Amino acid sequence: MIRIDIKLFNRRFWIWLVSALLFFSLTPLSASLAAFGDKIEKSKPQFTRMGDKITAKLIPRAKNSSVLINFEVLGGKLFEVQGMDFSEAEHPDVDVKDFKSSLFVTKIVELTPGTEVKVSITSDFFASETAYWIFNHKLQKPWMNSEAENLSRSGLTRDLVIKVKDGGPFDTDGATNGRITLVGGAKDSFWGYALGTLFIRFFGIFLVLSILMIGMIISGKVFQSIAKRKGKADEASASQAKEAEDVMSDETRMEISPNGATITADRPQTIDASLSKESVIAVSIALHMHLSALQAPEPLDLSISQITSWTQQGRERIMGDRFLTFNRSDR
Amino acid sequence: MTWNQVFELIQNILITQTGVPNLAVNQLIMIGISFFFLYLAVAKEYEPLLLVPIGFGIFLVNFPLTPLMGFTEHGNPELIRAFYKYGVEWEIIPCLIFLGLGAMTDFEPLIANPKTLIIGAGAQLGVFITYIGTLVFGFTLKEAASVAIIGGADGPTTIYLTAKLAPHLLGANALAAYSYMAMVPLIQPPIMRLMTTPEQRKIKMRQLRPVSAREKLFFPLIATFLIIILIPAVAPLIGMFMFGNFMRVSGVVKRLSDTAQHSLMNIVTILLGLSVGATMQAHVFLNWKPLLIFALGLMDFVICTFGGILTVHIMNKFLKEKMNPLIGSSGVSAVPMAARVSQTEGLKADPDNWLIMHAMGPNLAGVIGSAAAAGMFIAMFN
Repeated sequence: MIRIDIKLFNRRFWIWLVSALLFFSLTPLSASLAAFGDKIEKSKPQFTRMGDKITAKLIPRAKNSSVLINFEVLGGKLFEVQGMDFSEAEHPDVDVKDFKSSLFVTKIVELTPGTEVKVSITSDFFASETAYWIFNHKLQKPWMNSEAENLSRSGLTRDLVIKVKDGGPFDTDGATNGRITLVGGAKDSFWGYALGTLFIRFFGIFLVLSILMIGMIISGKVFQSIAKRKGKADEASASQAKEAEDVMSDETRMEISPNGATITADRPQTIDASLSKESVIAVSIALHMHLSALQAPEPLDLSISQITSWTQQGRERIMGDRFLTFNRSDR
Repeated sequence: MTWNQVFELIQNILITQTGVPNLAVNQLIMIGISFFFLYLAVAKEYEPLLLVPIGFGIFLVNFPLTPLMGFTEHGNPELIRAFYKYGVEWEIIPCLIFLGLGAMTDFEPLIANPKTLIIGAGAQLGVFITYIGTLVFGFTLKEAASVAIIGGADGPTTIYLTAKLAPHLLGANALAAYSYMAMVPLIQPPIMRLMTTPEQRKIKMRQLRPVSAREKLFFPLIATFLIIILIPAVAPLIGMFMFGNFMRVSGVVKRLSDTAQHSLMNIVTILLGLSVGATMQAHVFLNWKPLLIFALGLMDFVICTFGGILTVHIMNKFLKEKMNPLIGSSGVSAVPMAARVSQTEGLKADPDNWLIMHAMGPNLAGVIGSAAAAGMFIAMFN
């Protein structure tokens, strides 16, 4: 049953493919990676301060629209938040793809040395799985999970609350000096997101088209029943018209006199002997044509097993003509 | 004026005002590539309506110092840059193409057999599998989405999505999409035969019911309502598509419908082709990503065909009246080439089996399905 068809190795196909490969293999490798990739998706946050809160506005990786990330500190004063390029914190332990936005450098001041503060980072961009990872270049393992509390706020907003101790492992300056510098970023599993969203969206298409299908089936039934009702109404009006016509013909005793022949409704029909054969044939043909035009055509039976080349050609032409409606390339 | 000054002047003219000394090897390669696509279009008649302007666009922009894709000193776009900026970057041309396609499309086979919509959805399988494959090769999420949509085999949708998500890949993606659309008769038959038995290919389907003019009139309204309410991001494409179709079936704006089908379509095709071709300048195009895009696009197309046929097999498990699985391959939206291939393969199995109108249903569903997939991707990044 299963066999690879020899036409897969069609000459035209391979000529096309090999030519394309040749063209591209001539390309100097040095030119590669010139215009593609991460540069385009590096987010550059803009910061605004409103009271004790600093808001970063940025277009994150893999997004077209900007998001807002708010920074607040409980137990200290938020001095400044800056953006930091990931390249400065690159390490084999982490993948840049997992960080949807740039890294942030959060500076907190006016602390009693050695105290612990809570940094609250809120955004509707975060998901329930979002974590906040901290980078401290002074440590042997510079990247670590802050184990931030991921809290749900109003709407779709989520709040990541990180506990940071002055002079602790999350404090990049490493000194117990009443100031904290926190370097890190929100992290999600890239592959988890990519596969999850993909799965949902693929079935989303089924869902959308299924709803459309149901809508079309229902509307089809409605239109068919309307057409049926209309057909019945037409039939009824036609029969009424026929009855009226019969009544009229009874009343008027309509007479048809072709070449002197007299036919009345209430008498047996007699044909004048002098009527010529040609006239009779002509009247018969005219009547036949008239009546056959009134009849619905017989449905075409396409299941004839003995197909002739003549019918085959005819069908091909009919089907070919229908292509004109759909043919994009013949526009 | 001394001879030295004359030579200096000639040298200056040669360097700054002629292309000869500025012509680089990679530009010559691109000119070679343009000839290749022009050859395919003219000699082989592969999608000539698109490949001729695309090929010529590549040819034009790969000469040095040409004032075509840059900006003037005053910041105004040069000729083809203007086509690109206002047509493609502003996402106008793909939507106008959809308007024309809507005006050209007869939805009767789809309305008569709405079940085929599911085949159109199943044929998007390749789009999502290729998306994963593309990510593995190191493409970004947006790039991956724009490459994956190629398998849906709808040129305007690919261009629309790529312009939105990864404009730097526009040339390669559009070229791959249109090339594979032209190669449907080569790519699909082996997969179709591989996935069906001779008995399955002989399945005859009942003649489609007639569709009333009123039903055709309401279809674009119902479809627009349902699709846009579920995927608002796809409104520009589906909205224009259905508007074009409504003009056609309403029958009261024949002039507008005629313009959308012919004059407007021809104009935007020229502008689109040139703009897309013009994005393929040597310094942007010549690297390994376009090659990967071509390979991934082919894989995408194969899986989409596979997905469509597989969907019919699955549907047949539940349907009383079986469908011929050959129409599954039409779920890719290469209209009407994919339906034509189903017809041809059906006739090979049984010279009395006419599948064309049955195959048009999934074919049109594929157009809607690929637009829906594009909408899903757009929504994902918003």
